[in-house]
Amino acid sequence: MTGESEGERNRSNAFVVSARKRTLQKVAKTTGEGMLFSVAFFVAVVVLFIFYFVARDAIPFFQIRGFSEFFTSTNWYPADEPGEFGALAIIYGSLMVTLGSAMIAVPMGVAAAICLSDILPFSIRQYAKPVIEMLAAIPSVAFGFFALVVLAPLMQDHGGPLLMWAWWILVSPFLLLSVIVISDLLTANIKDEKRREKRHWMWLIVLGFFSIFLLFKVGAVLNGIQILTGTNALNVSIILSFMALPTIVSVSEDALQAVGRDIREGSYALGATRAETIIKTILPAASSGILAAVILGIMRALGETMVVWMASGNSSHIPEPWFNYLEAIRTLTATIAGDMGEADQVTGSARFHVLFAMGLLLLIISFISNLVSERIVVRQRKILSGQ
Amino acid sequence: MNIGTRKILDRSFTAVGIGSIVVMALALMIVVVPIVYNGIGAVFFTGTVEHRKMLHAEFKRGDSQNLDSEVASTDRYRAKVYDMLTGFEAELETMAPEKKTEYTAKYAQVQSALRALLGPLPGDPEPMLTRFKYGQTRWEKAEEKLHDLLYESKWDNSNSSVMSKEFFVSRAISFEGTSLARLFPYVKENLENMLHPEFTFYWGFITDSSVDSHFFGGIWPEIQGTFFLAIGAMLFAFPLGVVAAVYFTEYAKPGFLNSMLRSANSTLAGVPSIVFGMFGLAFFINTMKVSESKSVIAGALTLAIMILPTIIRAAEEAILAVPKTYREASLSLGSSKWNTIATVILPAALPGILTGGVISLGRAAGETAPIIFTAAVSVGSAIGLADVFSSPTPALSWNIYNLASEHEAAAQLRHVQYGMVLALVTIVLLLNLSAIVLRARISKKLKC
Repeated sequence: MTGESEGERNRSNAFVVSARKRTLQKVAKTTGEGMLFSVAFFVAVVVLFIFYFVARDAIPFFQIRGFSEFFTSTNWYPADEPGEFGALAIIYGSLMVTLGSAMIAVPMGVAAAICLSDILPFSIRQYAKPVIEMLAAIPSVAFGFFALVVLAPLMQDHGGPLLMWAWWILVSPFLLLSVIVISDLLTANIKDEKRREKRHWMWLIVLGFFSIFLLFKVGAVLNGIQILTGTNALNVSIILSFMALPTIVSVSEDALQAVGRDIREGSYALGATRAETIIKTILPAASSGILAAVILGIMRALGETMVVWMASGNSSHIPEPWFNYLEAIRTLTATIAGDMGEADQVTGSARFHVLFAMGLLLLIISFISNLVSERIVVRQRKILSGQ
Repeated sequence: MNIGTRKILDRSFTAVGIGSIVVMALALMIVVVPIVYNGIGAVFFTGTVEHRKMLHAEFKRGDSQNLDSEVASTDRYRAKVYDMLTGFEAELETMAPEKKTEYTAKYAQVQSALRALLGPLPGDPEPMLTRFKYGQTRWEKAEEKLHDLLYESKWDNSNSSVMSKEFFVSRAISFEGTSLARLFPYVKENLENMLHPEFTFYWGFITDSSVDSHFFGGIWPEIQGTFFLAIGAMLFAFPLGVVAAVYFTEYAKPGFLNSMLRSANSTLAGVPSIVFGMFGLAFFINTMKVSESKSVIAGALTLAIMILPTIIRAAEEAILAVPKTYREASLSLGSSKWNTIATVILPAALPGILTGGVISLGRAAGETAPIIFTAAVSVGSAIGLADVFSSPTPALSWNIYNLASEHEAAAQLRHVQYGMVLALVTIVLLLNLSAIVLRARISKKLKC
């Protein structure tokens, strides 16, 4: 009996809120929220700290050596006494592999994203997505090992034939397609049915021969190429494009999904085929989101360390001619990773600080491109939601 | 354009899309298949008697009686080889001086090839390095060394306009007329009797520590170091990330501060991994002095910062995916906001949050660049749990790089490198696979 009544009293007490209790609750609530906020704020503090501590060790370099040598000279002899710290060739190497991987990854990634969002049925998409995630999950050092141990010897021993086969396999479908389309376009204006048919065949044959000639001629030239070193910019670009692909695919797929059904249906209703719908309406609508995806993918390639360190050859010079992807190059990230161990940290030599200057450069580039891609995504979302 | 062409264009457009997905799947296959195929070779291989000798001497494993009888039977065949060597040495003394110098140099090559194949010759001093104490432990390597013994490799430099080419000269011919000529066919025929190749399942590759910088033994120190680093990073990043995600989803009010915090988060996600490594070096080690030099704790903290944005994002998504009705039901029962979050929303979002955590764990395990300057050493034994605050550790990702690019015998140790890569890829992919499965189950549950 007594226990029950006591319980009742307690229960009724729970609903009586005294002034003291209310203040306590308020204090607890504010401190709780404050703690949550401080944890969230921690992220911003970390970003500031990263900038501060990288810049703190980078600025002495510019104080000692000035700006012009770093950005304009290609003489990279940090170990000499006195050392030379021209990073132009290294910056160029970074840009080169980034551009190379973008040239492979962007068309493939966008095509795959379109396929995932608009073409494949859901049942297949379910299996395609984990494949992409797996590709993203493989550690960079495993890719680097593959590039160094499998791809590099392959390129060195069978470089020419490999290039030729790649050219044939990649280009022949496109040539076939363009022959068909061009011959069709050239004869589209002819009214007479029979004459048009004749002309069409004529063009098909002429262009077909021309493209076969092109295919074999370029193939023969590529076959003759001897790759002197397997650890070169092409090798790295291919592997980096594998690594950038998942980012590009998933972000641009999100952008394509964000374009509503109504736009697609409107285009179909006007009689457009699926390809025309995608190219002429959906891609323009999603273009800014795809641009953001491309920026993020490129950043992944630019900031990647292990693959370039292991498989780029690490030779600091601008290739001859400048677009020669078959030469060894050196990148910013690989230089930081490779030279930090040898640089003297204690005495604060220029050799140590130049690496932080490179890190600062990478950091600034990544910061700006992140900001840009974020702005783009926000703007696209606003446009698509009709504001 | 006529309809037919438009149709062809449409089809080929589809083909391009599907083709690029196929290429991605192929890329995954091309990378993974050699790694798996060769990596398995580190554990399952045809081992020779030298392998069993090594296991017994270095790890006290194996039946010593069996081994003794095996060694005795192989030694019977080897004894003939050694007899031939002593016979040739005596013959060498009787030769004319210029012939003697010529053959002495050649004989030294034969001796070193035999040492590489069968281990130290009788009469040799006890080698300092463990790698020279045993012959070839793997049969396929033994066959390579046999080729080195039978043929001398020379380089053809006669045509200076093309790269010089390697060609082989049979040693049996160059020793023609001496007593040593018999040695080469004998070794070739009796190699199996001298080495006793046998199918071997070397599970110790996972659990043993390495002997003489990975010439023998396994990769346990690396695996353990990888786990220490990844789990250490999770211990810091997971609670922080979840709390931050709760703030972002439940408490943050739209405004300048909030958008700034979100920008900071995505900036952190985009920072190149090597810059995290520099930051870890400059901040945790040189400024905070969490440890004298590299240490597990410094590496774990650096990795924690790196995976923090991923965890925050995953946790945010998981919390936002909890149906609104859960929250409303809890609030309508009179529970406070904080109570609702702690007892209703977080438990419902937990599987999703864990998925993000598991993926981040995999990323922390696989990442190399942040630990180069903060935690990784190339050679070392497994460290105890108490040492994490003071000593660095070997880790799979770093040691793969080190062994493949900087080790003095990188080309000889490919099987170890492949084994390490396979171990790392397996750890990371298993984590990711479990995350994928977990997520599929959640999405089913939330749909019901």
